[in-house]
Amino acid sequence: MMRLLNRASLRFYLRHPWQLGLAVAGISLGVGVFVGVQLANDSAARAFDLSAALVRGSTSHRLVPIGADLDEKVYRNIVIDRDVATAAPVIEANVGIAAHPGLRIPLLGVDPTQERNLRSFAAFTPGRGNGDLTRLMTEPGTVLVPAALAAELGAEPGSELTLQIAGRETVVHVLGIVGSLTTDVQAEPPLLADIATAQELLGMPGRITRIDLRLTESEAAALAAATPDGTILVREGAQRAAFDELATAFRTNLTALGLLALVVGTFLIYSTMSFAILQRRATLGVLRAIGVTPRELLSSVLVEALVLAAVATGLGLLLGRGLAAGLVDLVLRTIGDIYFSSVVEAARPSPWIYVQGAALGTAATLIAALKPALDAARASPAAVLRRATLERQAKRGAVVAAWLALPLLAVSGAILAYGPKNLVAAFGSLFAVLAAGALLTPLATVALMAMLDRLLGRFLGLPAVIAVRGVGASLSRTGMATAALAVAIATVNGVGLMIGSFRTSLSSWLETTLTADLYVTADPTTPLAADSDVLAMLMEVPGVAGVSVARALVVQSSVGEIAVRAFRPGARGFGLTIVSGPADAALAALAQGRGVAASERLMFARHLSVGDELTLPSPSGPQRLPIVGAYRDFNTGNYAIVMALERYRASWNDLTITGLGVDLRGGADAAAVEAAVRGLLGPKAAVRIRSSSGIEELSLQVFDRTFQITEVLRLLAAVVAFLGVLSALLAIELDRGREIGVLRAIGFAPRDLATSVLTQTGLLGLAAGLVALPLGTALAALLVHVINRRSFGWSMEFAPTFGPLGAGLALAIGAALLAGVYPSWRASRVVLGTALREE
Amino acid sequence: MTTPAWIEVREVSKAYGAQPVLDHASLAIERGARVAVVGRSGSGKSTLLRLIGGLEPADAGSVRVGGADLGAYSEAERAAWRRRDLGFVFQFFNLLPTLTVAENVELPLALNAVVAKEARRRSLALLQELGLGACADRFPEEISGGEQQRVAIARAVVHEPQLVLADEPTGNLDIETAGQVLALLRHTCERRGTTLVIATHSADVAAQATRVIGIRGGRIEERAS
Repeated sequence: MMRLLNRASLRFYLRHPWQLGLAVAGISLGVGVFVGVQLANDSAARAFDLSAALVRGSTSHRLVPIGADLDEKVYRNIVIDRDVATAAPVIEANVGIAAHPGLRIPLLGVDPTQERNLRSFAAFTPGRGNGDLTRLMTEPGTVLVPAALAAELGAEPGSELTLQIAGRETVVHVLGIVGSLTTDVQAEPPLLADIATAQELLGMPGRITRIDLRLTESEAAALAAATPDGTILVREGAQRAAFDELATAFRTNLTALGLLALVVGTFLIYSTMSFAILQRRATLGVLRAIGVTPRELLSSVLVEALVLAAVATGLGLLLGRGLAAGLVDLVLRTIGDIYFSSVVEAARPSPWIYVQGAALGTAATLIAALKPALDAARASPAAVLRRATLERQAKRGAVVAAWLALPLLAVSGAILAYGPKNLVAAFGSLFAVLAAGALLTPLATVALMAMLDRLLGRFLGLPAVIAVRGVGASLSRTGMATAALAVAIATVNGVGLMIGSFRTSLSSWLETTLTADLYVTADPTTPLAADSDVLAMLMEVPGVAGVSVARALVVQSSVGEIAVRAFRPGARGFGLTIVSGPADAALAALAQGRGVAASERLMFARHLSVGDELTLPSPSGPQRLPIVGAYRDFNTGNYAIVMALERYRASWNDLTITGLGVDLRGGADAAAVEAAVRGLLGPKAAVRIRSSSGIEELSLQVFDRTFQITEVLRLLAAVVAFLGVLSALLAIELDRGREIGVLRAIGFAPRDLATSVLTQTGLLGLAAGLVALPLGTALAALLVHVINRRSFGWSMEFAPTFGPLGAGLALAIGAALLAGVYPSWRASRVVLGTALREE
Repeated sequence: MTTPAWIEVREVSKAYGAQPVLDHASLAIERGARVAVVGRSGSGKSTLLRLIGGLEPADAGSVRVGGADLGAYSEAERAAWRRRDLGFVFQFFNLLPTLTVAENVELPLALNAVVAKEARRRSLALLQELGLGACADRFPEEISGGEQQRVAIARAVVHEPQLVLADEPTGNLDIETAGQVLALLRHTCERRGTTLVIATHSADVAAQATRVIGIRGGRIEERAS
């Protein structure tokens, strides 16, 4: 029996290839987008993890300086006096490559004899043996170059490479190439040198930047209790926490968008399967009449769904693979922006993602097919449901669905109010709001059509009324498609509004923060001496109205690694937007050195409040610094604090600076001032000078680049929804075959019918677009106030504008009209004889 | 003197796939006639009606109505002719489920650009005449089959077409209702001088016609009325 039923199902789809195609497309696209995003995510994450692991090796802890660097004697003290067996001294700084302007990669100076205990790249060049190690240690100015960089520069063993270090160019000899460690990893190691060579190149004789250690917990506790003077013991990886949290949040956001495409795809499957069952309701009634049991019918439809899922998921996995190739670069670039790194290439993603995608695709198909399958099983053997009865049921269903939306909204609110304050809960709440929107859509569509009926009926006449009523009268087909389109367009609206709000907030933050006209920045590893004569001379440069001074450094605090930004502000103040705590009091306390302002990312991630204290190690002992306020900070780097420069100098005994802010007089020639500043600082100063407008432009460029992938994903969700509408319209058109024949018989011209169908599809789009306005705005508010907050710790102003909403409405109507082109063409081409003969 | 033919079906052939339905069939119908087309199932009665109504083209031969060759018309011209000069009554009523009874009747008037108020007035008057005044604001699914077929007749004649084609108009009704509907159709057309062509199995229906023709083996033959 099942064999015959399955054969009947197969023949049904072969006779309705567009239905088969749309069902397959729904699943394939949903699975494809999800798998593509996951593959790209995983590939990028693994690339960065592997890159970090390559440098980390089996290091468990690091002994780092409280100040800028360490005397290498500390290393001897650790090994000999403290009897730590596995330790390796490291000197690390970023260097430029003369042949690759703008690229900065880490130069890692290590002791090759100690490295093999910690890092597998102690073997350096596979196949080249220890002979190279000996030469690396004995020959001055020799380095090992990462394979990708070597390939790009055409560097080979024996060739020379010009590095830019602290403003000067230094030629080094390439001793070998550092290849990948395993065959599936393309992550690149840094530029490697013997520690003595690195000290010489960096102009830091006898100094190291840290000591890498492999310690047991008890050894670590013992060492932490009595660290050498001027050092602090940190757990490996802790210093990357801020970056890791940011990158993880970014990837979580992408995963959610990928899942959304799958959810919209599921709508499409449901819609297609429901229609396939509706179309066969007569056949199903007959089958029940001749003795097929409900269980057999249920099994038959589920088998049908499984076969569809298998074919479509397979295609989806292929699509995902192709999509990932395009997406991975966008993900890598964004995460690269977060980590300030540009040397990481994609790694091979986990094959489990394909399994995950296949499982999700199959599960989504079966869930979507379950209700249609149950409907099929319940088909009455005595009487086949009349269409009118079906539509009445659909309308009752729309009312029930709308009621169901209310508890769902309550659940969403409860998750936000009482649920865990993490990102997954926030997305749970967001998906609940979307689901509620989808449930409200059919009733909203009916209400809108009833309203239009009254208006259009009066002004446009019966053909328009037929189109309007057709939407409501075909709710069993249009309801789900409109809901899918509304969800997709709401996503487009929501993300668009969020991006707009974010961009507005970023732009306004940049305007507040950039208090100077020109910024002179030095690498924190090579700060400028604070020469008061230079500052005085700067003030004398024609066009300069004032100079602010900054020292930036990274320290290990009681809440992990944080960036300290110590300022002596210029006339325009600190440029901080205080978001918690009284702003005036906070800025006054800050200026007087009575505390620090913490970035809101730090406050959020470490659950800090104004009034809490941060303990920072300093050369003059631990500093307990009260937090006087939280400030808005859209930087993607470390968690940060701001303090007065004098407060910093009092405890850190460091008079160097890493940044100068130059205020220009009105009408001053910025280029001339820049040239004069360069001349004053001298040719050896490794500084970058940028205008505030240049920084703003660059920041907005990075912002736009970051959201490129979001644009791609939301458009993909819209494509899936478009297919949903197309599917529904074709279903309606097929279902209305006879009605179309009658209309033609009483005098409708083909063009009238095409117009009628297009009007109907436009109305569907209008309904979805209108529902998407409030839904998208709610979504945007959630993204701005909850998702972004929990993802990145950023607060921003919610600034809804009509632009993205109008574009969403136009997209909804445009997509629906586009989807209506083929059905309207089919309606206008209907063979009258055939349509009426089917009577 | 013979009345000139108003409908001229000349040497028309029509096949669906390999199955011939009409084979060089010819027929002439004078204006205002009431003609019944009889024949067995599948004999080609409905096909003949669709050819006369310009709903589908003949494979060979020509169909002329009121001197106009329907085959020479474009699709848009045929649609314009149908909306002006043709009314169609189907076996299964085929009222538009999303329009009320009155709106269904108004539809041909709306297509002929009659202003909405006048269209409403005329449709209500006709419904009243057919005893359906109380049903005007109901939807088709809310009235009986007999009432639906009367609404379908109203829709077919409201714009006063020159020709009404009825395909098994009583085929889906009980005997009593069928008699009422048929009488109504006949009187309505007679009062307006409308030419009526009915395809039917029923001898009772055929008996109401002024002329009966049969179709056998794809050919049209005159029967005694």
